Amino acid sequence: MNSPPDESRVPPATALESAESRIQPGRYYGRGIPYLPINEYPGKLIAIEGTDGVGRTTQIQLLREWLEVKGYGVVETGWTRSPLMQPTIELAKSSNTLNKLTFVLLYATDFADRLEKEIIPALKAGFVVLSDRYIFTALARAGVRGVDRQWLRSLYGFAIAPHLVFYLKVDVETLIGRVLEARGMDFWESGMDLKHGDDIYDSFRAYQQKLLREYGSMADEFHFRSVDARRSVDHIQQELRKHVGAFLEAR
Amino acid sequence: MTFSLLHATDFADRLLYKIIPPLKAGMIVLADRYAYTAFARDAARGVDRQWVRELYSFAVHPDLALYFRVPIDISLDRLMARRVKLKFYEAGMDLGWSTNPVDSFRMFQGKVLDEYDRLVDEYGMQVVDAVGSITEQQRVVRELVAPHLVENRVEAIDEQSA
Repeated sequence: MNSPPDESRVPPATALESAESRIQPGRYYGRGIPYLPINEYPGKLIAIEGTDGVGRTTQIQLLREWLEVKGYGVVETGWTRSPLMQPTIELAKSSNTLNKLTFVLLYATDFADRLEKEIIPALKAGFVVLSDRYIFTALARAGVRGVDRQWLRSLYGFAIAPHLVFYLKVDVETLIGRVLEARGMDFWESGMDLKHGDDIYDSFRAYQQKLLREYGSMADEFHFRSVDARRSVDHIQQELRKHVGAFLEAR
Repeated sequence: MTFSLLHATDFADRLLYKIIPPLKAGMIVLADRYAYTAFARDAARGVDRQWVRELYSFAVHPDLALYFRVPIDISLDRLMARRVKLKFYEAGMDLGWSTNPVDSFRMFQGKVLDEYDRLVDEYGMQVVDAVGSITEQQRVVRELVAPHLVENRVEAIDEQSA
């Protein structure tokens, strides 16, 4: 809630908006968590982003094995996987009481829980944390649903900027093919809540296209390393290993 | 953070379902606690003040915000008179400042009160001295609320004559 206009003692919103140029990998994006200072820690945070069905999970499994063979301790974290929030989110999704604001806030709560309980402790203990999706998924989904982008960036000001963000990039045609082959289209992945129409194919296509545009617009802002995800699993993995290896060995 | 965000989620849900529709229908909404509670409580728990304010920027600014101010000892006495045990979070026991609930309550709620004092200026809250009797307080509250109601009645008449 904003102060009344005549009493503007509170400084204007800063957070992520102007942070573009001063994002520091490994540090909080915005105002952070005052009671959890993260000045020095040995771990590294690597995020793998991309829409549904782009092959993130497969790539993370392969990357994990490779890193472990090389002697790194690896911890994986994923979106909506917190023990605290997962049941609540599933329940809310299955009913129709979830509006876009509560949707965003439930995801943020889940992320905050994993950040405090999994990610930060693992980083402090020196692990390589592989994050299957990161805040960009939330920013993209909420952005598509018309939630204020500045507010979203301020909200996620408590997140840590990953050391590396890989964006697995595909076009919508490739994506449709993969999703249909793998498991079919589901309600939320098709953005059916946006009521583009009853046709799940059309809705999926329109929704995913918007998502891709949203991710694309974040690429520069958040220093994504785009990886062409239309290629084979092995090709993509080679590219990821090259970057990750070079980054970790340089330390 | 999760404590803060869960409350914000709950608040967003109530705002959109329970507060905004009656406001649109021209009704008076009485909110027992509002975003100010979160500002005070979360800041006392060490969450960034500006972040919480921005988080709640989706909230409606109330026409009137009343703050019932009471010294910590009186609030403790009142609580203890009614029940034997202080609630875990109310006493800020999760912060681990003291294993004694009463001490912890005093420390935590002391911080909460400091935060409320900031809010009074920042948001122009009306302070009601909550030490006095219920009748006295209610008289003050009615005096504060009355001007807002008169304004509404005038608007209603205008609408009818239009």
